[in-house]
Amino acid sequence: MSAGKRDIDELADEYVLGLLDAADYARVEADIETDSSLRAAVAASRDRFLALDLLAKPGHEPEGLWGRIAATLDDPKAGVPVVAAAGDGDPQTAIRTANDNPVAGWRLAALSGIAASLLLAVGLGWSLLLQPEPRVIAVLLDGAGEPQAIVEDFGNASARVMPLVDFEVPEGRTMQVWTLPSQELGPVSLGLLPRSQDMILDGPVLPQPKEAQLYEITIEQAGGSPTGRPTGPILVKGFAKMPR
Amino acid sequence: MQEHQEKLADALAGCAKGDRNALRTIFELEGARLVAVAQRILRRRELAEDVVQEAFIQIWTKAGQYAPDRGSARGWIYAITRNRALNLVRDGKRLEFTEPDNLADLHDAEHMDHAANIWADLDNQNRLRECLSRLDETKRRSILMVYVSGYTHGEIAGRLKVPLGTAKAWVRRGLASLRECMA
Repeated sequence: MSAGKRDIDELADEYVLGLLDAADYARVEADIETDSSLRAAVAASRDRFLALDLLAKPGHEPEGLWGRIAATLDDPKAGVPVVAAAGDGDPQTAIRTANDNPVAGWRLAALSGIAASLLLAVGLGWSLLLQPEPRVIAVLLDGAGEPQAIVEDFGNASARVMPLVDFEVPEGRTMQVWTLPSQELGPVSLGLLPRSQDMILDGPVLPQPKEAQLYEITIEQAGGSPTGRPTGPILVKGFAKMPR
Repeated sequence: MQEHQEKLADALAGCAKGDRNALRTIFELEGARLVAVAQRILRRRELAEDVVQEAFIQIWTKAGQYAPDRGSARGWIYAITRNRALNLVRDGKRLEFTEPDNLADLHDAEHMDHAANIWADLDNQNRLRECLSRLDETKRRSILMVYVSGYTHGEIAGRLKVPLGTAKAWVRRGLASLRECMA
């Protein structure tokens, strides 16, 4: 076997097993379309491991799931789930533990944060009176669960960020505001927040913001994240609520 | 198996022509098991169902791209679902809160054991079973954690308490041995 073939096979396995980073994954995905040997290697790898999937024991019938699929086909805008936000209003627990260095206290903070965001959404009712009315409001919390900033997303490519504290931003760095509209899109920048002051950000056109959509502010290098994805430490984060 | 594969390949061709009954056929043949596969990665049933919903929309829209040179129809359908589940887990890792309580750790340990032992359920005649059985325990376990539970190298290193480089080497060498064994 030539080294080239071995490399292709190894790459195909890593692609199939989900071991590539996002950039390499996208590259393989694109190369498959033009590179027949890579395509063949990926096909072989999938079928090599498929037997493990077939061992998964189907549970009870996924009731109503076909109905949801059919409804989405009828109206593509309506039913595509935002899986990060799925579940029962407790999005934090919707995501499985994936960190080898868990920080005790986060969970409690997150749960109390939901209560805090509900209270604040009510308490800051004045903001609802402003026009245009925001589609969603997210209260962003720090690691201790303290509210630190509010994001109102108007759903028309603009969002308002209201810091509630003076954030300490190191020299040569900037704050950047992000949201996660869907797993497909991944985290998307709403814009830079150079100072801790109330700002309207003109972001990209995105799907309408939804209940429990994630918003966060990270510290990035001056000019913003070089990759278009959050790279720096997370200052604060929170999940959106729709004004009732 | 062969007949099942043909049914699925036909159904994909039907989807490409816009026949919704064909998608329904795929759902009836594989939907429940796809939920189970997604749930092995995501743990939570409702997330798994959401992923399968998304996957079926993607199967519907991409069915025209399926061709036999992309492997079996079944493998293609499962790959779409697996990718969506893995994306969700990976994004969650980057962006979401962790859930650091002992219950989660216990659950994890149970999950890991399940993943590590599942290969024994493979049919005796199955080539993959034969080849997995030839791997040493650490490599086999690492590969199954990656494939069955969707772990990353870093997560394997953390769970098995070895350096990242070691975990990567186990997976890489294990995969190479499997390729050779199954060639």
